[in-house]
Amino acid sequence: MIPQNMHTMFAKPNHDEASRQDFVNDFRVHLAAKVFPGAFPAYFNRVLPSFIKAQGREPKDRHEVRKVMTKDSYYQLWSAMQRNSQEMIWDSVIDSVERQLPDLLEKAKDLNGKGSLTLNPNVIVPKYHDAADIHLQPGAYHTDSITDDLAAGAVYDRGTYIYSMGGLGPANDGLGRILREFFRKQFPDKKVERALDMGCTIGGSVTYWSTKETGTEFHAIDVGAPCLRYGHARAKAVGGNVNFSQQNAEKTNFPDASFDIVTSHILLHETSVQAIQSIFNECYRLLKPGGVMMHLDLPQVFGQNPLEGFLWEWEIYNNNEHFYGQLRELDLAEVAKKAGFDPAKFKIHQVASSWEDGQTPYSNENFTFPVYVAVK
Amino acid sequence: MAAEKKDDKKPVKLPRTAKGKKPIYFDSTTDKLLSMVLTLMGELSVMRDRLDTVERLAEKKGVFKIGDVENYELSEEVNKIRTERRAAYIARVLKSVQDELDALQQQGDGMNVDLAP
Repeated sequence: MIPQNMHTMFAKPNHDEASRQDFVNDFRVHLAAKVFPGAFPAYFNRVLPSFIKAQGREPKDRHEVRKVMTKDSYYQLWSAMQRNSQEMIWDSVIDSVERQLPDLLEKAKDLNGKGSLTLNPNVIVPKYHDAADIHLQPGAYHTDSITDDLAAGAVYDRGTYIYSMGGLGPANDGLGRILREFFRKQFPDKKVERALDMGCTIGGSVTYWSTKETGTEFHAIDVGAPCLRYGHARAKAVGGNVNFSQQNAEKTNFPDASFDIVTSHILLHETSVQAIQSIFNECYRLLKPGGVMMHLDLPQVFGQNPLEGFLWEWEIYNNNEHFYGQLRELDLAEVAKKAGFDPAKFKIHQVASSWEDGQTPYSNENFTFPVYVAVK
Repeated sequence: MAAEKKDDKKPVKLPRTAKGKKPIYFDSTTDKLLSMVLTLMGELSVMRDRLDTVERLAEKKGVFKIGDVENYELSEEVNKIRTERRAAYIARVLKSVQDELDALQQQGDGMNVDLAP
């Protein structure tokens, strides 16, 4: 495995823990590069012909593909192994974090650095977040196992690195890099005094932003307290400058027209249709005139063929990403319009991912991340 | 989500199982068997890495050279010990198959399996 950057808050694995994590990573690389591609010949050589023979036509959408592909023995075995590999990620990481938690809690207290942390125990974790543990991370991003807990954040930091097979870069900040590069290409001269990142978890992306846009006051919100505690400590450890607070992106306590940009990095697909509308409404309220909303997220179903559409939805049914299903077909232009944005100023951009070849579990093609952009 | 009071003497136990319905891929038993196989696959890899570390440290500290492991020659006595241990190991791992074979052979109604070649 490509080494991840160490920092003070990083839960360093011991010999066997590191070896176990390396194995999970290498197993997932193998699944992605050597096993998953077989889904295509399995479909075109036997699943599709047998469907055509029975129905006299090709499957009309991803749902019909799903009905037949999930019965194919090759696909079943890949899918079952992929699911297991996901569970093995967390299992391999939790050992290190659990063992070192008392030390990590002490380190977090002693760290000096910039930024702030404001928690609000009255924040209710929304149902779309609490119904199932996202990505199978046990306890998800919000469960405290001890006072001032930050374990969920430490587990997330290492777990997502292994999940992406190092694809997000050694600092695990690839999504932040992608979105900031996009922003600076599109809006080279935009002056940003204040920025807000919604659904930041451990703030990997916003912390990266804060090291590049040093004249900007960065705020970041999430509902999960242990991730925010870890994120604040991590930001200090890597020289970031972010003001974290525990808030739901659907309704924040920031004043109207108080931000130049509002961002999110893969937040929307973890929320519901109603929540996405509320989040867009809130973005509109929070932006100054001329301010920019940017949500980097996973692809929608539009433009995908039935097989591709089906494969992209593996995470919905197998990795506790149930709410991604709601984003797949949502008319976001309409959502933006309802929120108050001028339809002429809403655009969906496709931004190249920095993931390396053969390291994507979803598709045999290099994929892009859509960025949903609106200017107030 | 209710956090317990911090108690330094009691180690913290983090959650280990994700909330949410687990899909069934083959059937409940086969799914569990697959998980066991993959876990063992991982643990064997961990063991091999650890052995590799031990060999490299031994060479570094002058105990023996990694090449000595490759060139190790079995004495008759060690060969016998290993052969017996291997047979017992195989029998232990394949016990469920042996149990089924035993049951088949005990039926005694003309369905006895003749294992002679």
